[in-house]
Amino acid sequence: MPRHTRRETAVLAAPLVLFLLAILGFPVILSVVYGLSETTFQTLRSPSFTGLDNFSRVIADDRFWQAAWFSLRFGVITAVLQCALGLFLAVYLAPLIARHGWTVAVLIMPMVVAPAMMGLMYRLSLHEFAGPIPHYMWQWFGWSPAFLNARNVFATVVVAETLQWTPFAFLLLLAAYQTLPRDVAEAARVDGTRPWRLFWKIELPLLMPTLWIALFIRFIDGFRVFDNIYTLVGSGPGGITTSMSIYIYEAFLRQGDIGRALAAAILLFGAAFTLLSLAQRLGRRRRAA
Amino acid sequence: MTRHRLTGAALAAALLAGPAAAQVTVLGWPGGPEETALRAVAEMYNAREDVADEDKVELLFTSRDGFFDKLQVDLAAGSTAFDANLIATYSIGRYAPFMEPITLSDEAQDVFGETVLSTMQFDGEQYGVPTDLSLHFLYYRGDLIEALLADEAAAELYGDISEEFLGERLAPKSPEEWTWDDFAANALYFSQSVNPDSPTRYGTVIQMKNLLFNMMVFHSWPRSYGADWMDAEGALTMDSAAWREALETAKLLYDAGATPPDSTSYEYAEANTAFSSGQVAAMVQWNAAATELTGAQPETVAIAPPAGPEGRFTHIHGLGLGLNAAAENKDGARAFLEWLSTEEAALAYARSGGAPGLAGDTAQALADERPDLVQVGDYASNYGFVMNGATSESALSVYEAQAQEFTGYWAGTQDLDTAIANVTASMDELLN
Repeated sequence: MPRHTRRETAVLAAPLVLFLLAILGFPVILSVVYGLSETTFQTLRSPSFTGLDNFSRVIADDRFWQAAWFSLRFGVITAVLQCALGLFLAVYLAPLIARHGWTVAVLIMPMVVAPAMMGLMYRLSLHEFAGPIPHYMWQWFGWSPAFLNARNVFATVVVAETLQWTPFAFLLLLAAYQTLPRDVAEAARVDGTRPWRLFWKIELPLLMPTLWIALFIRFIDGFRVFDNIYTLVGSGPGGITTSMSIYIYEAFLRQGDIGRALAAAILLFGAAFTLLSLAQRLGRRRRAA
Repeated sequence: MTRHRLTGAALAAALLAGPAAAQVTVLGWPGGPEETALRAVAEMYNAREDVADEDKVELLFTSRDGFFDKLQVDLAAGSTAFDANLIATYSIGRYAPFMEPITLSDEAQDVFGETVLSTMQFDGEQYGVPTDLSLHFLYYRGDLIEALLADEAAAELYGDISEEFLGERLAPKSPEEWTWDDFAANALYFSQSVNPDSPTRYGTVIQMKNLLFNMMVFHSWPRSYGADWMDAEGALTMDSAAWREALETAKLLYDAGATPPDSTSYEYAEANTAFSSGQVAAMVQWNAAATELTGAQPETVAIAPPAGPEGRFTHIHGLGLGLNAAAENKDGARAFLEWLSTEEAALAYARSGGAPGLAGDTAQALADERPDLVQVGDYASNYGFVMNGATSESALSVYEAQAQEFTGYWAGTQDLDTAIANVTASMDELLN
């Protein structure tokens, strides 16, 4: 890049960089300072430096790893379910949507509801004495599962998350599906290719880049889940529904252990950054190959 | 042109100006009878002739969601948005560094009594005026107990069930005479999982969600066996027969299906809904639920919680108003808080829907209008307790730790020894 072009780039990017530094820089620096200190609400203005003590406390805390495992499982399972269902809906309903575009608006409605509200809605509708689902199950079968007990609560929150966010994957994949070159599919049909083989061998490979993006976004969203689980069941009996976000929130506000909460947040950021960098490098290497 | 400029300048000045000169701003507990009552007494106070304009009370309410978390951040940041603010017994220790002790009126001792005043004390200092008192009632369906007491065959079955589950043959009794063993036997008898002919689906409903307030409801139980957080010397006493007895019996009831299987996600609202549906025979719940529960099930009777070997106990805690150390109008706030502790203010607060813990003649003065307050005052004086350490800086975190571990034990994600060991370790870190 010529020197003058580099200078122009720097000048043009400077306002954005300065803006980001102002907006993000201060909280980041403060987080690092508090993460390296013993800080409570009483000592917010006079934190005492303790080095890596908070980080070692977090790493030695079984609940941190329990939360990390919950978030990882939740993120992976919900992302896969949402993308699989979203893909199915996008492909299966494409002919219907081509004729009646308004159906998309109906299908994405769950996505519009605030996640915290969704959690409250399930809290009401799954309650044994107030919720319509258990009510009819008792009426028809004389029995209803305990949706929110320790055995079933993970499945319940996975289903709730999947039902709310499948429309997001569906929307992304529908947009991608609608832009697939029709001539390739037409040619394959003329050659007598069956629909399943057409999908598997031609359309799915063409949809893969979008599918990866959808999976990635949904995984990130699932991994940092907070609102709907917190309003539905809190951190769960014995903390079994504690996600990473809930762990950090509770350490910060409920236990007043600000240093530990921020150390956990920094560790989480570090792990996410490392993973992202690795994925990016892997992607570049594949493209180069 | 000049007129336009003047108008513009006036508008700008109006927009840039801060709020009107400071009155006494009071941050209250929003959205319930507490708000209604506080509004009424604030109006009464402002109408007094001896209250100067700059000392009149202005009320401020935010949402209940995360109220104490937000308040903590505001106080720690030295907010001057309010002069007096809500405090609760279990959070005094946490807020005390950002508040100042206050002086109550000379009448306060007679109006509230020592037990209720102590719910607003920390380190020997009075940090707040008690406004509302919370404690527990045992709610039971009088019609069901009456039928049980009159039926010999039912009494036989009751004995069989208690013998099988509790290892002791018990006979049905009037709930006024119940021990916690009787409570458990009754819960089992009225559960269809144990007794398919039971008129209710569940004998009781225990709030087992991982939530600190649920621990407060539970504490009345182990306390009656002598449980405490610490002994007089400050040594932790969580690993005791008293805690184990209550924890194990609660788990026994959960495992036997005497409380709904989703109880591990239940808090106040869910438990009340269960009882109100008519499918629960008895429960221990906050006094604040009295109107709702008796309204939904007219046969419901509210009395003091069951007794244990060490006596009958109920957890108590108070809500109150205290002084923000960063207040801009401290003198005005002090004057309001002092007046709030007089009999005149307490009676007005109670008549407007509040639930102050009143003693002696003050409570009797309301006997016809608010009989429930007489009951509350009586139970608070005779059975009320605050765990040793429950007003400390870390009290809320201790409740959180107990909720985390004990709900895990009840739900079967860990055994009792592990739960008690984890609670002890957390409390050791928090309190010592």
